[in-house]
Amino acid sequence: MSTHVQAALSVANIHKAFGAAQVLKGISLDAHKGDVISILGASGSGKSTFLRCINLLETPDEGRIVLDGETIEMKRHRDGRLLPGSNRQVEAMRSKLGMVFQSFNLWSHMTVLQNVIEGPMRVLKRARAECVEEAEHLLHKVGLYDHRDYYPAHLSGGQQQRVAIARALAMNPQVMLFDEPTSALDPELVGEVLRVMRALAEEGRTMLVVTHEMGFARHVSNRVVFMQGGQIDCEGTPSELFEGLPTERFRQFVSSHQQRNHE
Amino acid sequence: MIDFAFMSDTLLKLLGALPTTLTLFFSSLALGLLLALVVVAMRVSRWPLLSYPARFYIMLFRGTPLLIQMFLIYYGLGQFPAVRHSVLWVVLKSPYGCAVISLALCTAGYTAEIIRGGLQSVPRGQIEAGQAVGMSRWTLLWRVIGPITLRQALPAYSTEAVLLVKSTALASLVTVWDVTGVAQQIIQRTYRTMEVFICAALIYLVLNFLVVRAVAWVEHRLSPHLRERPLGAPGKPTPETAPHS
Amino acid sequence: MTLLQMLSFADTGWGMALLKAALMTLLLTLAALLIGALVGSVIAAAKLSRRRVWRWLGDAYSILFRGIPELLLIYLFYFGGASVVSAAHHWLGGDGYVDVPPFLVGAIAVGLISASYQAEVYRGAFIAVAKGELEAALAIGMGRAMRIRRVLMPQIWRYALPGLGNVWQMSLKDSALISVIGLVELMRASQVAAGSTHQYFTFYIVGGACYLILTGLSGRVFNFAEARVQRTQRRNPAQS
Repeated sequence: MSTHVQAALSVANIHKAFGAAQVLKGISLDAHKGDVISILGASGSGKSTFLRCINLLETPDEGRIVLDGETIEMKRHRDGRLLPGSNRQVEAMRSKLGMVFQSFNLWSHMTVLQNVIEGPMRVLKRARAECVEEAEHLLHKVGLYDHRDYYPAHLSGGQQQRVAIARALAMNPQVMLFDEPTSALDPELVGEVLRVMRALAEEGRTMLVVTHEMGFARHVSNRVVFMQGGQIDCEGTPSELFEGLPTERFRQFVSSHQQRNHE
Repeated sequence: MIDFAFMSDTLLKLLGALPTTLTLFFSSLALGLLLALVVVAMRVSRWPLLSYPARFYIMLFRGTPLLIQMFLIYYGLGQFPAVRHSVLWVVLKSPYGCAVISLALCTAGYTAEIIRGGLQSVPRGQIEAGQAVGMSRWTLLWRVIGPITLRQALPAYSTEAVLLVKSTALASLVTVWDVTGVAQQIIQRTYRTMEVFICAALIYLVLNFLVVRAVAWVEHRLSPHLRERPLGAPGKPTPETAPHS
Repeated sequence: MTLLQMLSFADTGWGMALLKAALMTLLLTLAALLIGALVGSVIAAAKLSRRRVWRWLGDAYSILFRGIPELLLIYLFYFGGASVVSAAHHWLGGDGYVDVPPFLVGAIAVGLISASYQAEVYRGAFIAVAKGELEAALAIGMGRAMRIRRVLMPQIWRYALPGLGNVWQMSLKDSALISVIGLVELMRASQVAAGSTHQYFTFYIVGGACYLILTGLSGRVFNFAEARVQRTQRRNPAQS
């Protein structure tokens, strides 16, 4: 990896334990502008925890996060745990990282439009009219402009996830994090979400995607990371991994996942 | 058989005491809610020095009858010269003030638990979504946790408000002339229990009906997302509107 | 007099009186619970009835007993009861005004209020059992009596106990209102002790502490019972 080009997001040596269970054992990853990185792994391999450590929804026990050249300050608590050094900095950092959750997590008491403008208005303190214009544009893009006055309860899972993507995009994030965005969806709804994600990749968005969708990993991303037991087992371009099958574990993982392709 | 003249006369007398009952209710409701917010904020604190006193408060006021709380405040506190000479005496020397304070203290204990239940029902994911866009703790509380908690707590709060309406009747036992106090007086003077009871019961039933309707109205206003889909918008939520790009 | 002397169990102290009063409170609440269980299950049955008249009556009962202040209901039963008893007394040839025993009035008043809440508990428990297990019993062809005896009765307690615990606590606190008609239970005893010693603060605190002990202990009893019921349920998974 070239060191003279600054990475958009750089995480180094992330460790995380829940009680006695060591979930992450030193993960490092650099994402450059325009990278689409798929993170694969069996359930329990720690890939979701890793993603949640990046925007500090989980506080890593160890490690360093650098977003756009700015290191997130961490301080050590008396009992040895790491804590965010400044809430202000964490909030600013999170506003630059778009997060899409497995279970959408739309705010149930707000309409689609309100969900999308909430972040820009309340966190970035932008003017309402400007936010609405931007939001309507984004809702057009994910195909839900007509549903802007619906409440999440009135939408299908696929539609909710597309709104969630628009909500994350509305913050104009530098990096988008996707935490298994299609895992909670009925099979027939997976395609519409993947299409939106593919379009984002083609726009040149920087994306980290934890997923089970082999088709997406293989055809959309430019790098694939395979996690196993809290560590990175192997990584490389899709062709290096899927054609080279560098490790025995990855070979088993691929063969056990029937290659689904929604494109 | 029914003496309509007596009934209407009684009803008028009881209605004369209605303002007392109403102000008892509204002032203790407002005061109790404020206090409950403080108690619940302490109760959910991670700091034991805050959460344990709150637990104790809730146990104390939910574990004893309101009547004994009211008597303790009305008769008990006046026993101390220090209290009689403090500024608090302005409120505590009047039966009405004592009634409001004890009603508020008591309802605050119950309301705090109701709010805590509402807080616990806020889905973790919706809080995380707020954190993920970089909301500060106050923004999160004001924009996400607060509205969801309010909506979840309202049904139980409606029940608590009805209980509070009924509890105001106890003020008559510390010589506040509310509806129940006047009713009891008329009964003891006339021995026409049934007629007086019917009139007083009617007043409380109407009052409770209005309270329940009012809270239901607020609840309805606050939960458009649980109602039907907006009219004029496209029909069923199907993936028919596929992404454009 | 020192605090300890005032609270002592000797003739000069109020300890014995308060203890007796606490027992009276327990007894009254227990009687109210039983009356409430009896009336409450009838009301629950009415609410679950297929006949609209019964459902309407059940709902009306709830609205009345949950919407009218407890104190007012107690006055109704006390003064109203006295008039009825006196009238009956006159009709039988007696004269003068006859008082009704306050314990009876109190147990009935608190019991009927408790019934309106117990009805809701039983109704909820019935629906919970009916949804699964009762349908299963129907499916294997159990008769009506057997369904009630073998499935409904053992199961309904599991669902009803938590709610019953709350109703008990509520009745325990409602029983304090019976002091207004002169029954010497905990509230009344505290009042009498406070009045005759002029130690209002002390005796209302002591009375309150007694109530806390009663609610705290009975809360534990209900928790224990709940745990027991849950455990036996787990031990015999197949009831049919």
